[in-house]
Amino acid sequence: MKIAKAFGLEDLKLDYSTFKAIGPLVALVFLFILATIINPAFLSAGNLRNVLARTAFIGIIAVGSTFVIVAGGIDLSVGSMAAFISGVMIIAMNSISGYLGFGIQTVLVGMAVSVGVGFLAGSFNGLFVTKGKIEPFIVTLGTMGIFRSLVTYLADGGTLSLDFGIRATYRPVYYQLILGIPVPVIVFALIAIISTIVLKKTSFGRYCLAIGSNYEVAKYSAINVSRIRTMTFIIQGLCVAIATILYVPRLGAASSSTGLMWELEAIAAVIIGGTALKGGYGRIWGTIVGAIILTLIGNILNLTDLVSPYLNGTVQGLIIIGAVMFQRGGNK
Amino acid sequence: MKKAGIGLLILAVIAVFGFMGTPVRAEAEMTFGISIPAATHGWTGGVNYWAERTVERLRFKYPDYNFILATAEGPEEQINDIEDLYAIHNIDALIILPFESDPLTNPVRYLKEQGVFITVVDRGLAEEGIEDIYVAGDNPGLGRVSAEYMIDRLDGTGDIVVLRGIPTLIDDQRFDAFMELVDETDINVLDWEYAHWNRDDGYEVMQDYLTRFDHIDAVWAQDDDIALGVIEAIREVGREDEMFVVGGAGMVEIIERVMAGDELTPVTVSYPPDMIAAGIEITVLHFDSPSPILGEFIIASELITPENAEDFYFPDSPF
Amino acid sequence: MADKLLETKNIAKEFGPVRVLDEINFDLYPGEVHAVIGENGAGKSTLMKIISGYHQPTEGQLFLDGQEIELGDIIEGEKNGIVMIYQELNLAEDLTVEENIFLGQEKKKSLLLDENKMKDETINILRELNSKISPGDRIKNLSISNQQMVEIAKAVRKEARIIIMDEPTSSLTRDEVKVLFDLIERLKQEQVGIIFISHKLDEVKEVADRVTVLRDGKQVKTEQSNNLSEAEMANLMVGRELKDMYPDKADGIKDNIVLEVKNFTVPGYVESASFQLKEREILGFAGLVGAGRTELLEAVVGLREKASGEVYQKGELIKIENYLDAVNHNIAYLSEDRKGKTLLTDKKTIFNLTLLALKKFTSPFIDHEKELKAYKEAEAKFEIQAPRTDMLVSKLSGGNQQKLGVAKLMEIEPEIIIFDEPTRGIDVGTKQQMYTFIKELTVERGKSCIVISSELQEIIGLCHRVVVMCDGKITGVVEEEDMNEETIMHYATGLRGVV
Repeated sequence: MKIAKAFGLEDLKLDYSTFKAIGPLVALVFLFILATIINPAFLSAGNLRNVLARTAFIGIIAVGSTFVIVAGGIDLSVGSMAAFISGVMIIAMNSISGYLGFGIQTVLVGMAVSVGVGFLAGSFNGLFVTKGKIEPFIVTLGTMGIFRSLVTYLADGGTLSLDFGIRATYRPVYYQLILGIPVPVIVFALIAIISTIVLKKTSFGRYCLAIGSNYEVAKYSAINVSRIRTMTFIIQGLCVAIATILYVPRLGAASSSTGLMWELEAIAAVIIGGTALKGGYGRIWGTIVGAIILTLIGNILNLTDLVSPYLNGTVQGLIIIGAVMFQRGGNK
Repeated sequence: MKKAGIGLLILAVIAVFGFMGTPVRAEAEMTFGISIPAATHGWTGGVNYWAERTVERLRFKYPDYNFILATAEGPEEQINDIEDLYAIHNIDALIILPFESDPLTNPVRYLKEQGVFITVVDRGLAEEGIEDIYVAGDNPGLGRVSAEYMIDRLDGTGDIVVLRGIPTLIDDQRFDAFMELVDETDINVLDWEYAHWNRDDGYEVMQDYLTRFDHIDAVWAQDDDIALGVIEAIREVGREDEMFVVGGAGMVEIIERVMAGDELTPVTVSYPPDMIAAGIEITVLHFDSPSPILGEFIIASELITPENAEDFYFPDSPF
Repeated sequence: MADKLLETKNIAKEFGPVRVLDEINFDLYPGEVHAVIGENGAGKSTLMKIISGYHQPTEGQLFLDGQEIELGDIIEGEKNGIVMIYQELNLAEDLTVEENIFLGQEKKKSLLLDENKMKDETINILRELNSKISPGDRIKNLSISNQQMVEIAKAVRKEARIIIMDEPTSSLTRDEVKVLFDLIERLKQEQVGIIFISHKLDEVKEVADRVTVLRDGKQVKTEQSNNLSEAEMANLMVGRELKDMYPDKADGIKDNIVLEVKNFTVPGYVESASFQLKEREILGFAGLVGAGRTELLEAVVGLREKASGEVYQKGELIKIENYLDAVNHNIAYLSEDRKGKTLLTDKKTIFNLTLLALKKFTSPFIDHEKELKAYKEAEAKFEIQAPRTDMLVSKLSGGNQQKLGVAKLMEIEPEIIIFDEPTRGIDVGTKQQMYTFIKELTVERGKSCIVISSELQEIIGLCHRVVVMCDGKITGVVEEEDMNEETIMHYATGLRGVV
């Protein structure tokens, strides 16, 4: 019950509209049952750990996207941004290791660089949207290309690899288990809780909802619309930075194919979770469920040969559309 | 006013870089156009690296020759590129690594009809006889060499999984050739999935295979990028001793492992991105040497073992 | 008299368990203007929606030319010549006049649009309506009254026999109202029947042949308008004796100036405007639509960019660069655009109430209990009628929305309150409540108010002084003793005063 409360489910009554409101959860449970029937190995601790740890990247990024979308924006640059931050972070750590060695301090510098670059990238998007008065779609479409080509440039078209000495130090950030739970999952959970509180319990969250609902009314309610919108893009940048900090120790490399299509997965997770694409309404727990659903689909398809891999995209597409249709109760 | 200023600045930057990319040289004797895919994954990154390196070297060696390098994100863009190369730069020779065979066949044929010398690298065009020189990569060979090694190592029996690339002709050629040999043995392919020549996908697909199958003797990852993800997933659950991985292409990191005698990656199979360098060099040579060089050159896919790895090792290559 | 064009027999409508209309027997003759009046929620809109085919009645029958008909939807209604013009105009803002008039019913020449024919027809219709709009104008560039003209042109083109006008004059200036009434006169001669819904009883009296009064979903009376005075109409609407609409004007204005605005220029709207507001005063702002009143006061509170101008509060120069600065100086502004600028219609009432004063409820997290308490208080104080606290604003009637808007403003406990068209489109009862409230603010709570209004009666009835604007300039300030419609109109049209 406490968990339900933390995720804002406290005032649910059990009727049809409730059923729709928790639609994403129902879809998730359905997928769980389906997966268990298809392959009982699905429920093994190892597999569940894999699924959740994988979800962490897209999930954390999607939490940031929830703020942007709720406030009426959209950020298409997150996948490229993740690749770019990974690249800068790896270069920074490789070069600083000459002075600081392969110890924890090098990794901490890398993390600081990541957060710094994420902050700057988010500010860049936010300021062009608010001060430059350009649609978020266009600004982030632009930065999507910019970040991606920058990482290609940094990597000379190839792959940037983290020095093996640092990799050994950094590895636990992805692979370590705490009480049987992978570190990325714990970080993801913390971010989810903090974001839920920020969106539901602070004036900032309230203002995001108001701006997304009606920009003019927000202005006439003495809300500094530009500042709040810029901040949503900065939050997005920071979320991407945190996701990157967890991503880099996994494979220790970044290339131009890192984070490909993550922007669409993040947006899909937000929408599957029940947040309105046009803004004004959103919920973090939904986004998290949406992100898990997306990862689950891939996982289930890998665990079975019932579906030809040629049709993976079809299954994925149908489940996404089905989940959203279900949540909205048909076409009403 | 301020906004307009920023806009102008951006335009100016684009203009400067734009001109830098296309040096206009007076009285160039010959103009060579090179059209290749953009560096969207490891292998094409290697292609870009080798193309740039070769062009740089040849510019120095042949100051009278003009080289124009164009990279494309997809077949449509590549068609535009070669049209521009002809219409704007008036190229005498085209060296092309086609994105896909079918859509590029006609545009290349058109250039040929206008008298442009054509060299095709890696993927052939859909119709024979258009190109003057063909430097071919050996995709079926890659599948065959991989299969031969695996059959030999496993004594013709065992359970394997296969991770494929992106659904394309190249991928099909490799996979079909591999399966043709494997099907004749008692080796059982447990399942296959696409991993998009991508390290992350290799990691995730392999994680799930490790969950699903209690015993795996070998993994054919087909590509070294995928192989690196696969290796990480195997290490994570500590099943390194159970199986081995065969990748492909000859990426620096994998070659290093092979050289070091890593049990998990005993070999890889070459599919060198430097075949573009060969294509450019041979074309220039055709014009430079007294006896014209024409015909087909096949860059065979070879098994890279600890013994011969040194020959495939280019530590500066980004791939 | 000719045969009845339209007749309803014992029409009733239920939404779930709620009976919103009961035994309505309404009729309309060709060439007649039949007004329907009633407070908000009396059932006028529902009745009109039934007549136009948008809703289907739960009981009763609908007759057209003596034949019983059933209308499945609006399209069927329009096919039968019944066209409704909504209060919120239904025009595609980015399209041209001509494109709007033919929207969905474009003339075609084989596969392509026959633009010449449509243009010719548009020109003919507009000429018939005596309008100066050109077919190529974009809707968003037209004034509200001209947009209304386009709606009427649309109806004319559809060869409407019954036109339903919902509050057609609510955003029109007096001159524009006159144009509309001339137009109605012409439509009458064409034997078109018109159903006219309005809160403005003087206009009803002027234009309507008959009046039907609805109250709580019931038909209270249908009568020749000659036989009813405005006061009688109002009494029938509320079901009780309405005393004078306006409260007595309070004395007790202090001479000290709480707000002084100097040399305000808003590019394109206002030129060098200056005025003063005294403590406990209700200062009116009169003028024609487009005179720049809203723009001036929005610039004063930082909602619009100004080219120049200074604001002094109690003699001290204050800096207002955005609305938040104004709010921090306890100056609040209620926009004329209730649904577009004041309230988030897709949010709950309580969400809206605390939005402006949210800081008050945050420490560092939003205190929901405190919000709930504030809502209960506001609900009682402003008599907001919302069955549930978590209702969406869009489900409230216009009057209740307006009360919520005012309540939202009062959460910041402002000293100076600017009301822009505070009673537009709300019913008589709520209007009176609004007037009483504004008076109470000044008398009992010592606040000072500015009221922008296009209704001269309202200005005269409520305000101590009135600033009159014409064409972006302040042309005069009329003191209470000189206040009458004629004087104000002279300033408003630029006949008098500095121009």
